[in-house]
Amino acid sequence: MAENLWALREQKRMSVATLATRAGLPIGLIMEYEAGQRSVDPRHLSRLARALYVEETEIRLRGEPRPGSPPLEHPFDRPEQTVRGPARPPAGPPARPPARAPEREASGDAHAMPEQGSRVRMARGPRTAVEPKPPAPARPSQLTHLNDLIFRLGLNRDTVEAEMGKPLAEMNRLEASSLLARFQTQMRSAAIVDRHRAYLPEAVDQYEMHYLTGLRDQQAQVRFELFDGRSVDGKILGFGPYQITVVQDDGSELTLNKLALVSYRRAASDEEQPS
Amino acid sequence: MSLGDRLRLLRAQRGGVPPVEIEDALPELSKGLYRSIEQRYRAIGDDESIAMLASYFDVPFDDLRWRLDWPRKALSRALVHAVKHDQPITLELWTGHSVTGNVAWWDLGAAAIETDGGEVVVQRHAIERWDPRAPEVAEAADEEVEGESDGDLGLPAD
Repeated sequence: MAENLWALREQKRMSVATLATRAGLPIGLIMEYEAGQRSVDPRHLSRLARALYVEETEIRLRGEPRPGSPPLEHPFDRPEQTVRGPARPPAGPPARPPARAPEREASGDAHAMPEQGSRVRMARGPRTAVEPKPPAPARPSQLTHLNDLIFRLGLNRDTVEAEMGKPLAEMNRLEASSLLARFQTQMRSAAIVDRHRAYLPEAVDQYEMHYLTGLRDQQAQVRFELFDGRSVDGKILGFGPYQITVVQDDGSELTLNKLALVSYRRAASDEEQPS
Repeated sequence: MSLGDRLRLLRAQRGGVPPVEIEDALPELSKGLYRSIEQRYRAIGDDESIAMLASYFDVPFDDLRWRLDWPRKALSRALVHAVKHDQPITLELWTGHSVTGNVAWWDLGAAAIETDGGEVVVQRHAIERWDPRAPEVAEAADEEVEGESDGDLGLPAD
């Protein structure tokens, strides 16, 4: 059942300004929607729904104004009131009066005074403190990722929501990000990442790579048997998916193509030495 | 050594002739068949295509034909079977030597065999035959051989 926008907003104990900020829409537009002066733009519907934590279908597109409320005066028609849109940067400290202006006036320097038609900087009045911008609601992609991680970690969604004190769908972006980081750390520490292995020669030689790494790091003496019946002795300097480079006893380097290799093993003399 | 490995070695011995050149020279060979024979793990090819390849490389037909019955996938099955049943395996190598022992590890490039004289790492393309071959039951279940499903290349579990 669709509800008026103002009714939904008040149910959520949210001010018009807060709703406008969270939805990223001008406050005047929100007021017009609530007053029924215009229908909710379909492009804004999802933003409003997310900001209010409701489904899009729960928002009445052409709302009725609150009974007894005066007709809306367009905010931009009121000269004495300035309405700031949410896109503006937050107010900083009150502007200081120009420190050098009196000096310029006293010196009589003509260049110090603004010429006619030039831009004149108006002194600003004291600014009121603006409430900090509340974090935006969690992105749908964050919620999807969270649900996936909860499933893969074997957690109970109800338990997670109880711990957070709210349903996942009502979390804001920062909370969702923090929870995602926590779950991803758990995934890594538990080493339960189920990743599809790419079809790469480097990936499919994993065991041999580890073995060769061990031989290289131990500077083990290795004997290689080749297809042509020859053998090569030396220490492994480096290797890749298709080659092994060996430093022979005389100091010369030799790169062996694995296709030319039959087998290799630690040299007998090396096995007798303690590793 | 499987048929694909043997053909790859023949190519290397002839200066690394590229597969596309072989396919151009043998237009009657089915398109893509040569690449499949080299790259796939199961037995691919028939007597007719093997005869053409034997003629191209100038090697006896029988030298290629028997290898069709000893594909890489069959070697994987035998290695898996030996590991699962903790049985020794004998690998007959290209050089005429043989290596016997328990399988320490294997991947798609090599197999480590624990022999009485220490661990030997054998390149898979240098293995001609092996004993025992995996039993028929295992042969029917290709899924048991991880890592050689022609596209899903996992590795044996740690």
